[in-house]
Amino acid sequence: MKHIIILSAAALMPLSAAPDGEQLFTTNCSACHMLDQMVVGPSLAEIRTLYNGKPDEFVKWCVAPVKKRENVIEMPAMVHVGEEGLRAVYTHIMKVSEGVKAQEQKKGDPYAASPIHTARPCVQRIFMPNAGPAAIAVALDYGTSLCWDAGSCRLRYAWTGGFIDGFPYWQGNGSSVAKLVGTVSYVEGKSPFAGAEEAKFHGYSVKGGLPVFRYSIGATMVTEGYSPVASGKGFVRSFTLTPAPKADLVLEFPSDGKATIASDKGRMVGSKLTIPAADASKFTITFSLK
Amino acid sequence: MKSAILLLALFATAHASPWADHFTFEKIPNPPGIDPQVGAMETMKDGRIAVAFHRGEVMIFDQASGSWSLFASGLQEPLGMLVEKDGSILVMQRAELTRLKDTDGDGSADEYQTVFDDFGMSGNYHEFAYGPAKDAEGNLFIVLGIASNGAPMAAEIRGGFSEIGLVDRAGMTVGGEWGKLKNKAGRMYARVPWRGWVLKISPDGSKMEPYASGFRSPNGIGFDAAGRLLITDNQGDWRPTSPLYDVKRGGFYGHPASLVWKKDWDGRMPLQVPVEELDAMQHPAAGFFPQGELANSPTWPVVIPKGALPEAMAGQTLIGEMNQPTLVRVLNDEVDGVFQTALVPMFFGSPLGLGNNRIAFGKDGSMYVGKTALSWAGDKGIARVKWDGKPFFSLDAMKALPGGFALKFSEPVDPATLAKIVVRSHTYKYHAAYGSPKVDEQEMQVKAAKLSADGKTLTLDLGGLRQGYLHLVDMTALKSAAGGPLLGDKAWYQVVKAPK
Repeated sequence: MKHIIILSAAALMPLSAAPDGEQLFTTNCSACHMLDQMVVGPSLAEIRTLYNGKPDEFVKWCVAPVKKRENVIEMPAMVHVGEEGLRAVYTHIMKVSEGVKAQEQKKGDPYAASPIHTARPCVQRIFMPNAGPAAIAVALDYGTSLCWDAGSCRLRYAWTGGFIDGFPYWQGNGSSVAKLVGTVSYVEGKSPFAGAEEAKFHGYSVKGGLPVFRYSIGATMVTEGYSPVASGKGFVRSFTLTPAPKADLVLEFPSDGKATIASDKGRMVGSKLTIPAADASKFTITFSLK
Repeated sequence: MKSAILLLALFATAHASPWADHFTFEKIPNPPGIDPQVGAMETMKDGRIAVAFHRGEVMIFDQASGSWSLFASGLQEPLGMLVEKDGSILVMQRAELTRLKDTDGDGSADEYQTVFDDFGMSGNYHEFAYGPAKDAEGNLFIVLGIASNGAPMAAEIRGGFSEIGLVDRAGMTVGGEWGKLKNKAGRMYARVPWRGWVLKISPDGSKMEPYASGFRSPNGIGFDAAGRLLITDNQGDWRPTSPLYDVKRGGFYGHPASLVWKKDWDGRMPLQVPVEELDAMQHPAAGFFPQGELANSPTWPVVIPKGALPEAMAGQTLIGEMNQPTLVRVLNDEVDGVFQTALVPMFFGSPLGLGNNRIAFGKDGSMYVGKTALSWAGDKGIARVKWDGKPFFSLDAMKALPGGFALKFSEPVDPATLAKIVVRSHTYKYHAAYGSPKVDEQEMQVKAAKLSADGKTLTLDLGGLRQGYLHLVDMTALKSAAGGPLLGDKAWYQVVKAPK
């Protein structure tokens, strides 16, 4: 046994060689830095304009980078590459970037005309402003859109004038929320149902592109479907409750008067809608927006 | 002038990738108008290919007509799918595992059923969700990526918040002083439930078992042919280089952020647990993809079906890679019941290119490689790779021996080229810092290289293997007896356990 150990120790020969800048670049840098275009970090052509003839500054930056650019993540420190290694990386970058022109960064969404995202209606899960992270954006038509939250199982807000610009989200892997196109004209601060804090989301069905959300509040399964209003701005919200409620149902809406709310069942008093138990398993409420 | 052109053509031929002698590489047409970055891909029962794209479209590619049809849309960053017996498609998206069902038979899904969403979301961009992988009993395994300190949490989160950490909820939340606090949060963090965990979900979605912890950005989960649950992860903090794990129930896989959600966890902040203690807890990787040499960002494991590649490769695992122009083939080995692997490049230097995120095999044996870049280097669209059916010189198996390795090739080896084999080994440092340099790298002397009588099995005597070290067997100069190049000419074998 001893014999084998001695043999194996003899078989090991330490390696030492000058650092290979290209290899170090591939290992440590290539996932984020391309030759002539910005990916995660600036292109080698741009790095050349910043650091050509300044290897010391290059090494200093790599050892202790800071956040320098808006909407660009901060580079991790490259201390582990070592000064000698970073100098080799510097030499490699200057060599390959010589005479290379950085491509103009294309502005705007190259897929803005996507047939799927320009179709109406449209349902899109995406990070949304002023909502939980499990938000769903819905364009009912070209006039009215809304944000439904699959985390808290409720409508968050509706806006008019357009849908979303998802490019900031899609381009940045979710590091930005979608931008709303238009003006928020209706906001719900909580579910209209009492006791819906622990509601559980079950998904949705899509008919003609329009969503019908499903969730449970206790033992009651609720479906909440959305469709556009026949004319003007607003939305129609159709509910079913299973099993049917045994008592009168009271739904509470915002009292800010932003929407004119009308139900096909029950009676609206102020911002409270009361539906008799007999009618409360299926009802439709129309929200007209200014 | 003419002769110069001729010379150039010859030069090009002489230096063309040897892979191109046996495989064709082509791009299939992208669906019109949409961002063709592929997040998930599976072959359907009828042979068509289902593909989920970056912006949430699920589309179906019909090879016969070369056309696309829309099955579903509006999902959020789908990163895994599973086609079910009835044609429904399970898709893992950021917020949930969803079943897409076409109930009216019109060819597109009308039901988006939430199968499982009982996990936290902090709103941080890096919380990707991957899966599902299905076991023999129909249980579904998903794995949840953790958040990056490149950004704070959103004002509203889903699920609970763990108070275990140097930065409190207000400090972790957007609008606070993130610039000052981010370095105290950990480079990656898991302050909402089950981030960094593998979750085992019952077939109907009603029950969940926290199955294994310690993951970072695990963009690959699948069962191998022997039923091992394989997960790849990405180099970064606590990840010296990208690892391949065989995941066992209750195991901890190295990234400590997820420990705050461990049952009966003692409440210590993960970053304050001594590294030696974490190291002793962690399940060792069954394989390592050396950064910059083999893979920087390995992706999904799939099992090679019969007919797609030479028979010896059927049943082996193939893994994608985003930032190197290659796929990676896994050679399984076992020492005293410990699973360990050699990783071999496949198509390195071929026209395949970067961004290889998902792999699916068509019924005709062609291989579809779905590409993505997200905001990193990569590519878009789908490459179709097809083997010409003719044998080629490849490494088909690798076994650790007390003295070195036995390597099994598809064809007899030219003994004259054996002397050019180079073997090196190194290990890594397990630590909170991002990545690790190679540690204690040494060239290992090949004391003897012996071929079997049929010339196909090579035994390398290295005077012993180094336990816990990644061994590179560089066979760049190796030739078959017929003079052919070795397709996949390097093998990185992680000696988790050295045989005695």
